[in-house]
Amino acid sequence: MINFPQLIANGLVQGLFIAMAALAITLAFSIARFPNAATGDVMTAGAYTGLATQSATGSLILAGIVAILTGAVISLAADRLVFRKLAGRAVVASLVASIGVAFVIRAVLGVTFGLSQLVYDIPLTRAKLYWGVRLTPLDLQVAGAVALALALVFGILHLTPIGRQMRAVADDRDLARVSGVKPERVMVALWLISGGVAGLAGMMLGIKTVVEPELGWSMLLPAFTAAILGGIGSPGGAVAAGLLLGVVQEISTPFVGFNYKLVIAFAALLGVLLWRPSGLFGKREGVR
Amino acid sequence: MTTTSRRQLLQGAAAGTALLSMPSLTFAQSAGVFRIGALNPITGSGSTFGTGMLKAIQAAADVVNAAGGAGGVKFEVVSEDTQTSPPAGVLAAKKLLEVNKVQAVLGTWSSGVSLAVVPLTNDANVLLMNTSGAPALSVPPANAKGLSFRFQATNDRFGRAFAEVCVKEGFKRPATMAFNNASGIGNADGFKKAWEGKGNKVVAGVVYEPNQTSYRSELQKILDANPDVIVTGSYLQDTTILMREWYQSGIPVKWILPGWAGSPDLVKAVGAPVVEGVISVDSVSNVGAESYKLYDAAYQKAMGKPGSSNVYAAMTWDMVITLALAIEAAGKTDTDSIKSHIRTVANPPGDDVFSYAAGKAALKAGKKINYQGASSVLDFDEYGDVTPDFGVSFIEGGAINQKYVVKI
Repeated sequence: MINFPQLIANGLVQGLFIAMAALAITLAFSIARFPNAATGDVMTAGAYTGLATQSATGSLILAGIVAILTGAVISLAADRLVFRKLAGRAVVASLVASIGVAFVIRAVLGVTFGLSQLVYDIPLTRAKLYWGVRLTPLDLQVAGAVALALALVFGILHLTPIGRQMRAVADDRDLARVSGVKPERVMVALWLISGGVAGLAGMMLGIKTVVEPELGWSMLLPAFTAAILGGIGSPGGAVAAGLLLGVVQEISTPFVGFNYKLVIAFAALLGVLLWRPSGLFGKREGVR
Repeated sequence: MTTTSRRQLLQGAAAGTALLSMPSLTFAQSAGVFRIGALNPITGSGSTFGTGMLKAIQAAADVVNAAGGAGGVKFEVVSEDTQTSPPAGVLAAKKLLEVNKVQAVLGTWSSGVSLAVVPLTNDANVLLMNTSGAPALSVPPANAKGLSFRFQATNDRFGRAFAEVCVKEGFKRPATMAFNNASGIGNADGFKKAWEGKGNKVVAGVVYEPNQTSYRSELQKILDANPDVIVTGSYLQDTTILMREWYQSGIPVKWILPGWAGSPDLVKAVGAPVVEGVISVDSVSNVGAESYKLYDAAYQKAMGKPGSSNVYAAMTWDMVITLALAIEAAGKTDTDSIKSHIRTVANPPGDDVFSYAAGKAALKAGKKINYQGASSVLDFDEYGDVTPDFGVSFIEGGAINQKYVVKI
C-alpha cells in the first residue's frame, strides 16, 4: 500500500530546502538582474561557518546567526569586487563571473576545512507519528526555522521603507530612480538579505545531510528550477515552487521509481512553462 | 608595420632557452629504462589511500631495481594525481602517456576514473593495472584488448561475499539499496545473482540517486517489505544520511555495507550507538604470506603506518612485482609480450614465489613460477580479474572488529 500522506510530508521537508535556495536566487535576480550561480557556494560557506561555531560554542542559535552573517558578508563582497563592475553588461557576463566566484568560494572552503565530510553534532531522535505520518522533531524544527526566515524576509519586503524601495527598484528601476530611491542602498540591502537567506539555507541543509564542499553546488539545479517555475523574481513564487517540486518528486516515486523522480520534476517545469511562460507567479504578481 | 622591440627580442630569446633546457621531453624513451605511470587518487575522496599507493609503487620499483632490474631494464616511476575525478584523471593519464611516454599505467582507484582512463591506455597500447570494482572493466569495450588487469575484487564478487555472509549469519529476507553508478549497482546485482542462485529471494531493492537531501522515501519502500537485513552498494556520504534516517525511523534491521562505506569515518559521523552491530565487508590482504611481510615492512618504512591500514597499497605493490616478473619472463618490454606473460608468472601451475628476487632467480633457472601476492594469491581469470578473500567485520562499541574471513 502506498502511504501518500507520508510521501507528501517527505516531499515538503525536501521542498523547504529547495525553497530557501530558490528564494535567495530569485531575490538577487529581481534587483541585480542576473542568475547568481554563486548562491550554492554561499550556502556551503554558511554550512561550514555554522558548523565551526556550533562545535566551538555548542549553540545552534549562535551558529545560525554566524551562518546568516557569513552568507551576507560574502554576497556583499562578491558584489563589491565583481558583480558591480559588470553591471550594465550582458547578463551572461555576470552569470559566468558568478560561476567563477562560486569556484573561488569552494576552493577557499576546501583549503580551510578539508575535503572530507563533516557533520553537525546533534543528537539523533526517533521519529514520531502525527496522524499516520512519521516525522522527526528535527524536521519540525527545520520547518519552523524556514518559516521564521520566510516571515522575516517578507516582513522586510512589505513592511519596511527599504523593502518598499527594493520592490520599487525590482518593478521599474528607472521610475524608482527618478522618484528619489537610491539604488546604492537598495543593492546593499538586497545582497545582505539574499546572502543571509543562502547562508541559513546552507546551514539547515548541512544539519540535515553532511557538510562537504559540493553541498550547495549540487542544490543549484533544483533551486534554479524552482526559481524559474515560480516566476523568476517572485519571492512567494519561488517558495511555492520549491515546495511543489519536492512534493511532485516524492509522490511520483511509486509510479516511476526513484531514479526518474528528477525527470518528473523537470517534466512538471516544462508543463507549467508551456501553459504559463512567465511561471506560476509570473511577472505581474512579482515583487512590487 | 611591425618593429621588434628589445623587450620582445629578450622574451623570444628566453622562451627559446627554456625550450632547449627541456631535452627530457624530446628524448623520453631512453634505452634501459621502463617508465611506469603511477596514477593514484592523491586528493579527492580516495585521498585516504592515494599517497600510500604511490609510496608502495615507488618502494616496489626500488626493490626491482635493487635486484638488477627486469629483463635488462630498470624501472622509473612518474606520478600524477587523479583527484579521484574522471576529468582530472583523463588529463593526468594523457600527460603520462604523451609527455612522459610511460609504458604502463598503475594504480587507478575509483571505477569512474578507471573507466575514463582505459580508452586512452587501450589507444596507446599500454597496460592499465587498477583497483576498481565496476564489472564493466572486465569486458569489451573497456577491456577489448585484454590490457586491463584488476587487483581488487569486482563488485560482483563483493556481492557474492555479501551472499555468503547472509548465509553464515542466518538472514532469510535480505533487501538491497544501491547508489546509482556502476559500482553501487554492481554490488547489489552481484548479491542478487548469488543469493537467488542459492534458491533464495530478495524481498525488495531500490537504486537511489546521489546528492539527495533525504533518502526517507527510498528507505520506507525497503522497510515496508519487512527485511531482516539490508545489503548496500553505497558510499560514505549517502550511507551517513541513510544510517541517520533509518535510526530515526526506529525500525530494527541489520545492515551489510561494503568496507569503503562501513568505515571509521561512518562511525565518527553518526555515532557508535547508531551503527552498533552493522556488518562491514572488505577484501583482505594475503596476510599470512611472505610477500605480505615484505610489503608490510616497506609500507611501514615509507608511511610510518602498518601495511594493514591500506589494502590498496598492497595491490599497487603487487602490480609492480607482477609487471617486473612478466618482463623478466618475456625478456622483452613491448606491451603484447608483457601482457601474455602476466598470467604465466602469477597463475598456477608453477613454484610459489613471494618476492621479486626469488621469482627472478627461479625464472633464470628455467622454472615456471606462480607469484603469491601481498594483496591476494593473485590468479588472474580470463578477464584479468582476481579473487581475493573477504574480511567480515562487526561494528561494536564504535570499533570495527574483523570476525572471520569469507572465501568465494
